[in-house]
Amino acid sequence: MQRQIKILAIDSKEIILKSIRKALNSDEKTEYIITTSGTSIEGLKLIRNDIYDLVLLDLAMPGINGIEVLKRIKKFNYDIPIVMLSGYSSKSSYSDVISNGAENLLLKPFTTAELKSVVSNIFKADKSTG
Amino acid sequence: MNLLNRLKYINISTRISILLALIIVLTMGIFSTLSLLKQEDDSINIITNNSNQLCATIEKILRFSMLENRRDEITKALKDIVGKDGIRTVRILNHEGLIKYSSKQSDINQQISQSNPRCTGCHVNKDNMLVSSTKNFVNYRIDKQKNLVYNFLPIYNAHSCYTSACHSSGEMSSSINLKPTNGLQTFHYHDSSQTVLGFIEIEVSTEKIASNLGHTRSQLILITIIIALLASILTYFSIRTLVGKPVKNLVEGTRRVAKGNLKQEIPPGKAELGELSHSFNLMQKQLLTTQSQLIESEKLASIGKLADEIAYEISNPLTGIIVFSENLSKDSGEDKIKDYKVIHTEALRIREIVRNILTITKRELPEFKDTNVNEVINHSISIVNKLSNFQNIQIVNRLQKSVPNISADSGLLDQVFLNLLLISSESMSNGGIINISTNYFKDNGEIDIIFSDTGKGMSEQILQKLSAPNNTSGLGSTERTGISLAVCKNIIEMHKGSLSIESKPGSGTSILIKLLVNS
Repeated sequence: MQRQIKILAIDSKEIILKSIRKALNSDEKTEYIITTSGTSIEGLKLIRNDIYDLVLLDLAMPGINGIEVLKRIKKFNYDIPIVMLSGYSSKSSYSDVISNGAENLLLKPFTTAELKSVVSNIFKADKSTG
Repeated sequence: MNLLNRLKYINISTRISILLALIIVLTMGIFSTLSLLKQEDDSINIITNNSNQLCATIEKILRFSMLENRRDEITKALKDIVGKDGIRTVRILNHEGLIKYSSKQSDINQQISQSNPRCTGCHVNKDNMLVSSTKNFVNYRIDKQKNLVYNFLPIYNAHSCYTSACHSSGEMSSSINLKPTNGLQTFHYHDSSQTVLGFIEIEVSTEKIASNLGHTRSQLILITIIIALLASILTYFSIRTLVGKPVKNLVEGTRRVAKGNLKQEIPPGKAELGELSHSFNLMQKQLLTTQSQLIESEKLASIGKLADEIAYEISNPLTGIIVFSENLSKDSGEDKIKDYKVIHTEALRIREIVRNILTITKRELPEFKDTNVNEVINHSISIVNKLSNFQNIQIVNRLQKSVPNISADSGLLDQVFLNLLLISSESMSNGGIINISTNYFKDNGEIDIIFSDTGKGMSEQILQKLSAPNNTSGLGSTERTGISLAVCKNIIEMHKGSLSIESKPGSGTSILIKLLVNS
């Protein structure tokens, strides 16, 4: 049976959102339903109105910054897995995001394989727990 | 107010010299005055003592003549005495105050009143002429105004006086007070009951003293002035050399440092100020070293920051290129072409980033040539029209045809316009309109170029950061338009123009570029 994964991608750069859509193309095993948002405010609105299986969130969001959005989503729904995207390779960023509740940090520029790998790792763990 | 300000700037040398002059004048003034006063007192004392003795001598000399009642002799003697050693007048008065003899003819038979100080010395009350128990008898009087000293000596009654036969000289005056004694028909002038028969008085002139003192005073004043002048001039020049000049050098040194010149040393000096100059030079050297160190570390810091910026800016378009080239559409041509366009756009974006970086780091000198801004704008538009970003963006241009050529680097201007177009497109991911207009103002030789879009705009915070001068570091992690706009601004300023941004979140951004049509 085809698994359905609803993903919410929040990034201020249109090209990143396009790339996420391009990379996560549905196959016979999984269907990706991708919703994108270019601003933090819109993203936070979307998270309240619908149920998502995964959030891809850029660290460097203008306005309300990435970490703040991360905290707010976690406050709203603690269980939802969030993967942060970042253009910086700072080591402190990783511990920062993890300590605030993110599952992982994906560095840009990322390849299709990297993105798919991060996403499936989250649901692999899920599958095992049932 | 102006005068007060000028007074503040009188230098040390002048102040000390003036102070010294004042001190000298003051001290010498006080000293001289006291000295002269003492001298005057002493002189007058000498005169009074001398004249007192003179009175006594005159009395002794004239005694015989008085006893013999030789009136003419007495008068002649008095006249002879006058004139020597400043003796003005000599008089002999009787106890009632009547001037009996005088060297001055007009005095004779003048009456002095009972309130005269000559009398009040002994006779306290002028009405009853009682003799006071404490004889406050001062035998001289000083008249400063007339420069005279009066000295008088009482002639005391003696046995020989009241026993002399006054008419023994053969004269008899009706005014003689006759008192018959011993039944003999002898006439006596003076009664034995009298204690004081009369007074000898001399007037001595103190004019000579006064003029001498005056002369001395003038001399002292002159000397004081000369000394004060010499001392203050000497002091002025000494202080100027020892203090004034070193201080001036120091002040100039500090001014130079304030302006940024840390290389010029101040000349060495002597003593404490020499120490100061030396310390100052050392301090300057230290500052220079510190300055170089700071510049070095700032360079390193900004390189680090730049590296961060570059990594951040490039990572986004690069993601696009990677993912799209990995997933080129396997179906029909139109989708494939769209994918290629995306890759092309992002690659171009990276090209602009690289060019911006080169502009910042290399700061190559621009090549100014005759350029038409309208042509450059059209060229930039033609490039972006091919990009995927611009598929749903409408570019409206109102380029004034009469805009004259300017001296500019067309490559750099192209960079500016491309950057602006790309930035606008990024703020309008769902499409919009970009308005470009050019206008030439003849009266001030200015060309105004306006790029305005209907995008999402920029916040106040970002605008403020962008308007900061020498902003080559962008805005850190939140907006990559930072470097792009900063570079645009720098390029325009290199062309002696100005770039200003107006933006409101939600209602678009408008960028105004002003360039001058120069010779």
